[in-house]
Amino acid sequence: MPLTDINLPLATWALLAALGGLLAVDGVSVPQIMISRPLISATLGGAIMGNAAGGMLVGALLELLSMRHPPYGAAKYPDTGPAGLIAGAAYAEVGGGSLEGLVAALLVGWVLGWIGAYAGYGRRRINGRLTLASEFLAADPRRLERRHRLAIGMDVIRGILLTGGLLVPATLLVALIVLIPTTPTGTAIGATAVVTLLAASIGSAARTTAPDVRAWAMVLLGAVMVLTAIWARAW
Amino acid sequence: MEPRRRDLWQAWWRSFTVQGSWNYRTLVAPGVTYALLPLLRRIHSEEPERLQESVLRHLDSFNTHPYLSSLAVGALARLEFEGASDDEITRFRVALRGPLGTLGDRTVWAEWRPFCLLVSITLFGLGLNPLWCALVFLGVYNAGHLWIRVWGFRCGWQQGREVGRLLRAFPFQRFADRLWPVTMYLLGAATVLLGRAVVATSDGGTSSRWLLFIAGLMVVPAFRWPNQFGRLAVGLLLTIPILWILLALTG
Repeated sequence: MPLTDINLPLATWALLAALGGLLAVDGVSVPQIMISRPLISATLGGAIMGNAAGGMLVGALLELLSMRHPPYGAAKYPDTGPAGLIAGAAYAEVGGGSLEGLVAALLVGWVLGWIGAYAGYGRRRINGRLTLASEFLAADPRRLERRHRLAIGMDVIRGILLTGGLLVPATLLVALIVLIPTTPTGTAIGATAVVTLLAASIGSAARTTAPDVRAWAMVLLGAVMVLTAIWARAW
Repeated sequence: MEPRRRDLWQAWWRSFTVQGSWNYRTLVAPGVTYALLPLLRRIHSEEPERLQESVLRHLDSFNTHPYLSSLAVGALARLEFEGASDDEITRFRVALRGPLGTLGDRTVWAEWRPFCLLVSITLFGLGLNPLWCALVFLGVYNAGHLWIRVWGFRCGWQQGREVGRLLRAFPFQRFADRLWPVTMYLLGAATVLLGRAVVATSDGGTSSRWLLFIAGLMVVPAFRWPNQFGRLAVGLLLTIPILWILLALTG
C-alpha cells in the first residue's frame, strides 16, 4: 500500500488514543479485567480499523510471546495494552494480510510493549514519591485518597500519550516494511522466523505453566490431534 | 463502631485499585490502605487518633496478588474492628503477604489466565468470529476473577485471623491445578492453528511442511531452554526487515 493511501482520520486517532489510556490502566492499576492483554487490545485495534481477524492474529502471536513474562511481583514484563492496540490497528490498516505486514506488526507490538513497560517503571518511581511520606498522609487520610487517584490518573495519561504519540510512527513503520520488495527466499525466511518465534514461545509458555515432562506429551497430543483433523479434512 | 454494608461494598470496590499507586518500596501498601479507609473511618469514627495510627500502620510495606487483596482488606478490617493490638496486626500483615502473593501468582497468572487465553486462541484458530473469541475470554476469565474477589473479601471479613487456614485449602487453586493437562493440550492445538494462519499469510511463498519441520525442531530446545530461545526468537523478529532489505538490494 502506498504511504499516501494510509487513512487515519483524526476522530479514529483520538478514539484509539483514548482506548489506549483505558487499556494501559487495566494492565496494572484498575480493574485488571484483562482487556489489556494483546489478544484483546490488538483485536480491538483491528476491529476499529476494519479487520478484527487480522488484529486477533497479531494479538494471539503477541500473547504467546508475552507468556514468557508473567507479571510476578516487581518482575519486568511488556505493557501489552497500548502496544497490542497499535500493532493490531497498524496491521489492519496497512498490513494487508501479508506476511511482511504480520512481521512488521509483531515487531512494532513487541518494541512498543517494552517502551510502555519502561514508562510504567518511571510511573512507579513517581508513585513512590507520592506515597512514601507516611506520617503526612496518615495525618489526613484524604491526602492518601487524592494521591492514589492521581497515580491512577497518571497511568491513564501514560496510556493516552503512548498510543496517541506512537500510533502514527508505528503505522508508518509497518507500511514501510510492507513496501520492501521481498523475494521468495525472503518470504520463506520471514515465515520460518515467525513460526520459529511461535515454537519458541510455546516451548517457553509450556515450561512456565507446567514444568513437567507430562506437559510436553500433552502439547504434542494437542498438536497431533489438530494436524490429523486438518489432514482428514483435506482428504 | 461496626461497618455498614455500604462501607463493606466501598472497600470491596476499592480493592480493584490496589495496584494504582504501586511503588518499589511499600509495594501495594498505599492501595490496600486506600481500600481499607472506608472501613477504618467507620471502625475508628470515635477515635481520630486511632484512625491515624491505623493508617500509618497499613502504609508500611505490604504485598499481595491484586485479586486476593480483597481477602487482605477484609481480614485486616476484621482485626481492626476486633480491637487487635498494633503488634498483632503487624505480625498478621507479615504472615499474610507471602502466601497471598505466591498463591495468586501460581493460581491466576500461571494457570487460570493461560487456560482462558488458549481457549480463546484455539476458538479463533478454528474459525470462530474474533469478537466472539474475545468475549469468550473476557467472560470465562472474569467469572473466575470475580469469584476470587468476592470469596476473598467475604472470607476475610468473616474469618479475620483464621484466613490462613482457609488459604491452605483455597478452592480455586484445587480447581486450577487440574487444568494444566487441558492448557497444555490447547497450547499444542493453538500452535498448529496459528502456524497455519501464519503460513497462509505468506501467499504460497513457502512450503508449510518445511516450516512445520523447523517449528517442531525448535520447540524441543525452546522447551528445555526457554529464556535463551525466547531471546533468540525476538532477535530473529528484529532482524527480519533488515534481512529483507539486504535480500532486495542483492537482488
